[in-house]
Amino acid sequence: MAATTESVRADAAEAPLLNKKNLILGSLVYVVFYAWVRWYEGIYGWSAGLDSFAPEFETYWMNFLYIEFVLEVSTAGILWGYIWKTRDRKVMSITPREELRRHFTHWTWLVMYAFAIYYGASYFTEQDGTWHQTIVRDTDFTPSHIIEFYLSYPIYIITGGACFLYAKTRLPTYQQGLHLQYMVAVVGPFMILPNVGLNEWGHTFWFMEELFVAPLHYGFVFFGWAALGVLGVVNTEVAAIAKLLKKDLA
Amino acid sequence: MSASQSAVRSRAEAVKVSRTFDWLILFTLFFVVLGGYHIHYMLTGGDWDFWTDWKDRRLWVTVAPIVSITFPAAVQACLWWRYRLPFGAVVCILGLLLGEWINRYMNFWGWTYFPVNFCFPSNLMPGAIVLDVVLMLTNSMTITAVIGGMAYGLLFYPGNWPIMAPLHVPVEYNGMMMTLADLQGYHYVRTGTPEYIRMVEKGTLRTFGKDVAPVSAFFSAFVSILIYFLWHFFGKWFAGTGFVQSS
Repeated sequence: MAATTESVRADAAEAPLLNKKNLILGSLVYVVFYAWVRWYEGIYGWSAGLDSFAPEFETYWMNFLYIEFVLEVSTAGILWGYIWKTRDRKVMSITPREELRRHFTHWTWLVMYAFAIYYGASYFTEQDGTWHQTIVRDTDFTPSHIIEFYLSYPIYIITGGACFLYAKTRLPTYQQGLHLQYMVAVVGPFMILPNVGLNEWGHTFWFMEELFVAPLHYGFVFFGWAALGVLGVVNTEVAAIAKLLKKDLA
Repeated sequence: MSASQSAVRSRAEAVKVSRTFDWLILFTLFFVVLGGYHIHYMLTGGDWDFWTDWKDRRLWVTVAPIVSITFPAAVQACLWWRYRLPFGAVVCILGLLLGEWINRYMNFWGWTYFPVNFCFPSNLMPGAIVLDVVLMLTNSMTITAVIGGMAYGLLFYPGNWPIMAPLHVPVEYNGMMMTLADLQGYHYVRTGTPEYIRMVEKGTLRTFGKDVAPVSAFFSAFVSILIYFLWHFFGKWFAGTGFVQSS
């Protein structure tokens, strides 16, 4: 059997249009996981995260960082690889109902992206402000950064990549080429991660205090604007879904 | 794809599907915009928004409206001009305030133990309501930019005054005159942000005294108009549906 899907299964029409279990389960994964992360920060930030030369820092924070790296690279490889490997080779010949079902699945992914972006860009980024305005840093890998930069950002990058790949490999709407605003919405926030290099370089070179509005941080701002690309995705999706639904009403 | 086949089996199902998509889209739009808007706002005006002792009569009043009118203008450019939804600005501010309040409570208080009455966010809602109402009533981007943008800047300080006034009451402490907000800052030490980088009450014409806030608000209103125009066009571009050919 070929690795890629060549046709829609005969019983596909019987499956629910929106798989609510996946939607709820996926949402719970993000919420519960980040609740646990916040608990971990609360306990080990103060007790083991103030002095990067202390042995307990290595135990509770650097090991956390190493585990993150391994899990993130593996998750991205497996998830993106799976979505690409199981792509639909005959995506233009699916039935309208199957297309509608895939739009629902696509939106389930986008809801996960919304969770991931919220935690990364809002929750853990502003949290970083209060931590570094309170605690004087003695390393680039502070407890706050280990969670914000190296956990929450990769998670939204992995989720955003999965959204884009799903749309590109399974929805006829996205077969005309590469959707520009969709790429902006996914690649822009992704670029925040490389921009961490500038941030850390600046902080180690000359800027020890934590002034949040410092120009050193403007790279994050610029790439944060890219999240507005979701407006283009919404417009494309609304047009595609309206077209599918109007067929019935005509 | 066969044009003769229907995606839905009845009109009722079409309505149900449409409503379900509405919720999925609104949820996603709300939180993705919240994320982008919050990271933008916290890194361009955040310090003035975080702490009461940064909420002064000059720089807070000037900076906050200018940097916060951006996303509302962009989202209005999509939601009003494409869908006639008159809540683009309010939905942005609701998102921003939700993100900020969760953070101030869970992290500023919950992790680093600053009391919430020292680190509550600014109120941006009055300006957002006016911005949406002006756009809805006039259906004009130019009038919204000029009248709405100006109102957005001018309303910021009065909109926050009832909250901030008690903290701007003067006190004498160890022989020095300061505000209650200053006193909060001295007591709740932020080691990573020493006093010398606090940007408040700067300027040479301090004899203007009480006129500082209105002058700052007026200047902020002027720049907000310009920023609205700029970000309206950003919003139009971000709302595009173009494709880049792979070849």
